[in-house]
Formats: sequence, C-alpha cells, structure tokens
Amino acid sequence: MAHRWGMVVDLDRCTGCEACVTACHAENNIPTVGPQEAANGRAMHWMRVERYWEGEYPDAKVKFRPVLCQQCDNAPCEAVCPTYAAHQTDEGLNAQVYNRCIGTRYCANACSYNVRFFNFFNPQWEKPLHLQLNPDVSVREVGVMEKCTFCVQRIKTGKRTAATENRELKDGDIQPACAQACPSGAIIFGDLNDHESRAARLAHSPRGTKLLEDLGAEPKVTYLQRQPWNESDA
Amino acid sequence: MSRTRNNPLADDLLRPLFNTGVWFYLAVAALGTVVLTGLTAWAYQMWHGMGVAGVNWPVFWGFHETNFVFWIGISHAGTLISAILRLVNARWRRPVTRCAEVITVFALMIGAIFPIIHLGKPWLFYWVAPYPSQGSIWPNFRSPLVWDFFAINTYLTGSLLFLMLPMIPDFALVRDRAVGLRKRIYGLLAMGWQGTTQQWNRLEAAMQIMAIAIIPVAVSVHTIVSFDFSMAQVPMWHSTIFGPYFVAGAIFSGIAALILAMTVLRRMLRLHDYLQDIHFDNLAKLLLLMALLWGYFVTAERITVWYGNEPHEMAAFWSTQRGLYSPLFWTMVCCNFVLPLALLPFRRMRIGFGAVVAASGVVVGMWLERFLIIVPSLSNKQLPYTWGGYTPQPVEVIVMASTFAAMALLYTLFAKVVPIISIWEMRVGNQPHPAATAAPEHELPELSKARP
Amino acid sequence: MTAIYALYDDPEVVQRAVDGLRTAGVPDGRIVVMSSEPFEDFEFSHRDKADWLFTVAVAGGVVGLAAGYWLTRLTQLSWPLRTSGMPIVAPWPNLIVIFEMTMLGAILATVVTLFISARLPRRLPRFYDPEISDGYILVGVANPGADADSRPLTQALTDAGPGRIKRIE
Repeated sequence: MAHRWGMVVDLDRCTGCEACVTACHAENNIPTVGPQEAANGRAMHWMRVERYWEGEYPDAKVKFRPVLCQQCDNAPCEAVCPTYAAHQTDEGLNAQVYNRCIGTRYCANACSYNVRFFNFFNPQWEKPLHLQLNPDVSVREVGVMEKCTFCVQRIKTGKRTAATENRELKDGDIQPACAQACPSGAIIFGDLNDHESRAARLAHSPRGTKLLEDLGAEPKVTYLQRQPWNESDA
Repeated sequence: MSRTRNNPLADDLLRPLFNTGVWFYLAVAALGTVVLTGLTAWAYQMWHGMGVAGVNWPVFWGFHETNFVFWIGISHAGTLISAILRLVNARWRRPVTRCAEVITVFALMIGAIFPIIHLGKPWLFYWVAPYPSQGSIWPNFRSPLVWDFFAINTYLTGSLLFLMLPMIPDFALVRDRAVGLRKRIYGLLAMGWQGTTQQWNRLEAAMQIMAIAIIPVAVSVHTIVSFDFSMAQVPMWHSTIFGPYFVAGAIFSGIAALILAMTVLRRMLRLHDYLQDIHFDNLAKLLLLMALLWGYFVTAERITVWYGNEPHEMAAFWSTQRGLYSPLFWTMVCCNFVLPLALLPFRRMRIGFGAVVAASGVVVGMWLERFLIIVPSLSNKQLPYTWGGYTPQPVEVIVMASTFAAMALLYTLFAKVVPIISIWEMRVGNQPHPAATAAPEHELPELSKARP
Repeated sequence: MTAIYALYDDPEVVQRAVDGLRTAGVPDGRIVVMSSEPFEDFEFSHRDKADWLFTVAVAGGVVGLAAGYWLTRLTQLSWPLRTSGMPIVAPWPNLIVIFEMTMLGAILATVVTLFISARLPRRLPRFYDPEISDGYILVGVANPGADADSRPLTQALTDAGPGRIKRIE
C-alpha cells in the first residue's frame, strides 16, 4: 500500500521553544531576511510557533501552536495554481515544484493556514553561512513560492536506505527535522496508512483536532490537546 | 435630398487625421514620459524582485491586482454598451459606439498586463497558455487564472474585431481623400473595400452576430475575474454574489470612464455637433441606474455577512466598516452612491459639469472597491496570528499612474489615426428613412419580391 | 476589364436605376451598387443578404466547443495530476474554458467568413470611383460587352434621374 504521510503535534507537550523552527531553517535552506524585511512581512518560516494569550496579566495563560503546512487532502492551494506547480503526490504530499512556479502567489492567498511563503528577493547567506547549506535541498530563487515539504528529502533517503538494506520501511525510520529537534517529543511523524504507526494511532486520539477543520481541506496534521470534555480520557 | 451635402461631416471628423496641432505633440511627449517611467519602475521591480512592492505575507496581492480588476472593469463600458445599443437599434448610439469600443480594447490590453506585472517570474507568463511544451505539461484548467487567460483572450479578440470591422469603410474613405504615403497606408488598411451592396450586407450581418456573441463573453469575463477571488476560502471572498456584483461594478466604472473620455474628446476635437447633450444625458441616466444597482449589491453583500456573523468573516468585515480601512470604505460609498444620486437626477447636471464630477467620483470609488475587496480580506484571514497589513510602495504607485497615462496616450494616438466617430454610421443616421416611414419594416421582404 | 456605371447622389434615383437595369434584362447578380453607407431602407441594398452567416457562426461555435472539450479533457488525461481532491477531468472548471472557446470559435468563424465572402483583403479593383467617398452612389455593370449591348444599359442609367454616366475601358 502507498504511504500517506501525516503528522501529529501534541500541544500539551509543546513548550514553545522554537527548536523546530530553527531545525527547519537549517535543514531546508530557508533564508533569514533580517529584522527590517521580517517586519515588512517577508520572513519565511515553514514552521512557526503561534502564541495566543488567554486572560489578562498577571493571570495570563500562553498557548503555543506550531503551525506548518497541513498537507491537506483537498488542499485549496493546489487547484488555483495555473501551472501545476502545486499538486498532490501519490503519497499525499502537497508538493511544490519550484521550477514550475511562476509566482502568481494565488496559492498563498487560497491557503487558509498561511503556510506558503514567497521569495520576495533572491535569498542570500552571509559568509560563512553559505557553507552550511543542505546539499539535499534545492535553494529557491526570487519569485517562487515555497513551503513545508514534510522534509521530502528525508523521506526519500529513508526509503532508499531501507531498500539498500533490503528491508521494509519501519515506523520511526523517517523523521522530519522539526520532529527530530523537538526536545519534548511533541511532533510525531509517520505513515497514516500504517495503522500500527505512532502517528496513525495518535491521529485517532480523542484529544485530536484538526486546525480549521470546518473548512473541509482535510489536513493531514492532527493537533492533540486536552479538552475539558475529554479530560478523563487523556 | 443631396447625399453629397454630408461632406462637412467627413471634413469635421477627418480633421484630426489631417491636421496636427502642437497640443498633440505635447500630449504625446508628456504621456509618453509617464509611460516610460512606469516601464522603468516595472523593470526595477523585475530586477530586484517583488520585494520592492508592498505585498507581503499575508497580503500577497495589492495594488497590481487592484489595477487588474479595475482596468478589466473599465473595459466593460465599450463593447458591451455598444453591442446592446446596436442590438436594440438605438439611433443615438452612432457617435458613441467607436469611442466606447476603443476604451474596451485599450483598457483590456492594460488590464491584461497586470497579471504579468504581478508575477514573481513575469518572463514565464506564457506558461498559462495551452501549448504543446517539451515537458508535455499543460496548464491546469482548474485554476481561475487559466480561465482568466481564456476569457480575456476571447474578449480581447472579439472586442478588437468588433472595433476594427466597422473601421474598414472609414479607412476606405480616408484612402480616397488622402494623397501620397497616407493614401498608401490607408489603402492597405481599407483592404480594397469598395462598398458594394454585398460587402455592406456581409459587414452588417457580421456586426450583428458579433454584437450577440460579445455580450455573454463580456459578462463571463468579469464573472471569471470575480472567480479569482470567490473561488478561494478567504473571508468575504467566498461569496456567490461576486459574479453579478463584479459585472455590475464593471459596467458602472466603464460608463463613468466613457463619460470622461467623451468629455475630453468633445472639447479637444471640437465635436460638439456630434457628441451632443442627448448622449451625455442618456449615459448619465445609465450611470445613475448603475449607481442604484451598485448600492443594491453592496447592501446585499454586507447585510448577509453581518447577519451571518461568522467569526472568520467578521474580522474582515469590521476592518472595512469601523477599522483601519473604514475611511476608504465610506469614501467609496460617497463616490459610488451618494455623489451620483445627488447629482444625476437633474438634467442640468447630467448634461453639464455634474456628469463629469459624478463620473470622476465613480472611477475613484470603483478603484477603492476593488482595493477593499482584495486587501482587507487578505489582512484578516482565518488564523488571527497571521493577520497583517499592506502599505503600497512607490513602484506600485508609479506603475499604476503610468497605466492611466498609457490609456490617455493610446487614446490620443488612436484618435489621431482613426476617425473617432464612425463616419459611415453617422451618414446612415443622417439619411431619410422612406421605408421606415412610408412602409412598415415587416413589409420589406414582400417589397423586394414584388420588384421585377 | 470594362465597365459602365453612373454616379448618383440620391438613393431614390439609384433604386430606379437598379430597377431599370433589371427591366433591361441584366441579372440581379451583375448589377453592382457601391456606396459609402449601407442604405438599409432601400430595396437595392437587400439583394444578396447574408442570413446564412448565422449558421456559419453557430458552426464555428460548435467547432470551438469540440476543441475546448478536447483540449481540456485530453490534456488533463495525458498527465493526470491531482489537485485539491478534484477529479482529473473536472467538469465545472472545464465548462468555463469550453464556453470561452465556443464563443471564440463563433467569433472567428464569423469574421473569417466575412472576409472570404466580402472578398477582403484585396487590391482595390479598377471598377471603383473615389467619388463614392464623397457620398455619391455608383450603379453599374462590369463587362457590359459590345457597344450595341451596352446601349440599353446606358439608357436605363440615364432614365433613372440626374447622374453622370462614366465608363472604364
């Protein structure tokens, strides 16, 4: 059976440390744009940690929510692309083909999660940072969209390694950079078609919800969060 | 009555072609400079990347897309109105049709450039067109941007032909009057037109069919432009009313542009005998009607959102009603509704300065409408963490200003080389109508049978 | 090419001249009328109406529709890429493309037929008179034959009313 990659993010474990954000930047050659351009809304964080405050100081409660591309089954970003740069792969990944992209930015508008990013300028790395670029990931040029790939390069490597070692791919072989870097283990990645995988089991947890589920995009990322009505189940 | 008495008509209407005033060179130089500045700004944007524009995360569309919708909207005056007036055989249409159709063609050309200007890689714009490529990949027909390509392509082709077919007899007229190089050029343009009965019949029949075909195309074009927005699940975009709302708004802004263009033409080319009070009166009435229709659509759109009270939509809604964008919103309401309703019920205003004021207001108001549809919604999408804003940058403003200059420049050049009022259609308007008065229209076929 | 024609400035006279030529035995197809406006209110302008142009337009529309259907369907099947969970051949979006191509087909068929049937573009034929542009209406017959044959034609053109008879030899 074909793989169907998915992710579970346990909000009850998330500490908001942003290690996932840093790991993602390093793994995927995501340029940093500097404070000025970041203030202009040009920062690119395939993975971001959203912070929400509840209540007033000093009784404020902070909630963290790591948000990345939800790899939707019915992704609104895909159909609006005139050149098929955005489309669904056989393994359920929401692919972005950089050299098919002509930069209409329509996908970014159609995405309700705002997890697509545009290269407003040619990316630059100050020396010696250019030496730490990941050779497995292409560097995007000005004028194209980019987004979380579920570390597709690691998925490929994982499958290739399993094939050379002449064995089945097993749960946990593949870990995206964010999941690997998360100190509290809040991010679990796996094959949703493999019902024994941790991710598939956790995706059915009573604590699980999907982000903006009512929009019907069928995201493949599940958020776990203790709710007042299922406190006993957790 | 003598047919040849109509010669003053040709003399009047051909005067701009044969005589060139200093103002013409001045206008072309001034407008050309602005257009060149705009092209430079675009080149600057291409060189550095979209980052020099104000668009950002999450407001990925800004001025360029506003101008796209605005100019495509302006293009809905000409061909649509002239096709409708042709089909109902409104006699007063004759001096208006061509100067209206020219607006359509040029506004469409300008509008169609904006989707290219806004691209991250504008040099790859042709990837939206269906052609057998080496990669054997075709455009995605599920994308509204591809629908845009097809719709604008059909509309531009249709409007261009609709404008140019009736120009052939006028080119023949210039050919017969001019000498030297000009005669050769207009001779080529006239394509050997003789004015035989057969040619006239074919031309009239073709124009009739074009008029019928172009109306649904025009309606579809702005519906599809509205689909660029309403297909996406963005607050206040995902609405079934957008198709008719955009079409009505497009015709509204188009009529306003037509009134402004005719005012300038009448003054600059001294066409007071042709563009008469009745034309301004009728067009201003139409503008008033469209203002009412616009008010109806905006009310229907707003009250549905307000009453439905969906949290996602309310953020975008309140940002236009009370928040950051509310000054623009209420300016728009004044320009598009209050101003026309205050001025245009009075005939003295419709044929005078009032129509110009109202039309200018509507052009501004409709531009604001397009901006208010695009930017506040993108600023307030579903996740509050991603809310943002938009500040236009100089490059966007310069490109926008240059398109207004481009419109004026193209119009000036066109009026220089083509009679801006169709001479042969004016002659038809001047002829006596013996059949129409003596014998009713439906008896004509019998009449021809009775002849030997 | 030779021709005999008259220039009139009154369409009523033109009507009489056309009728006169018919009485003189000239078939309708050979009577040439050239004018700088269509004169729809006169019978002479109703000869050779092109009502069939509508049929051509519809046929062009059908061709456009078929082309649109073929283009959308085959290209989507040639490399089936999934987007947004929509079917590979998605009927609703395709309908829009098919509609636009239908209308484009109708418009292009109309214009192409117009050019072919009105024999445009061509070099301006010798049988023409620039005075038409001044508002005169030309009535004449091309290749009228020998002098003896053309005499009744000249007579018919003269009898119709005030005008100027001209010849192209």
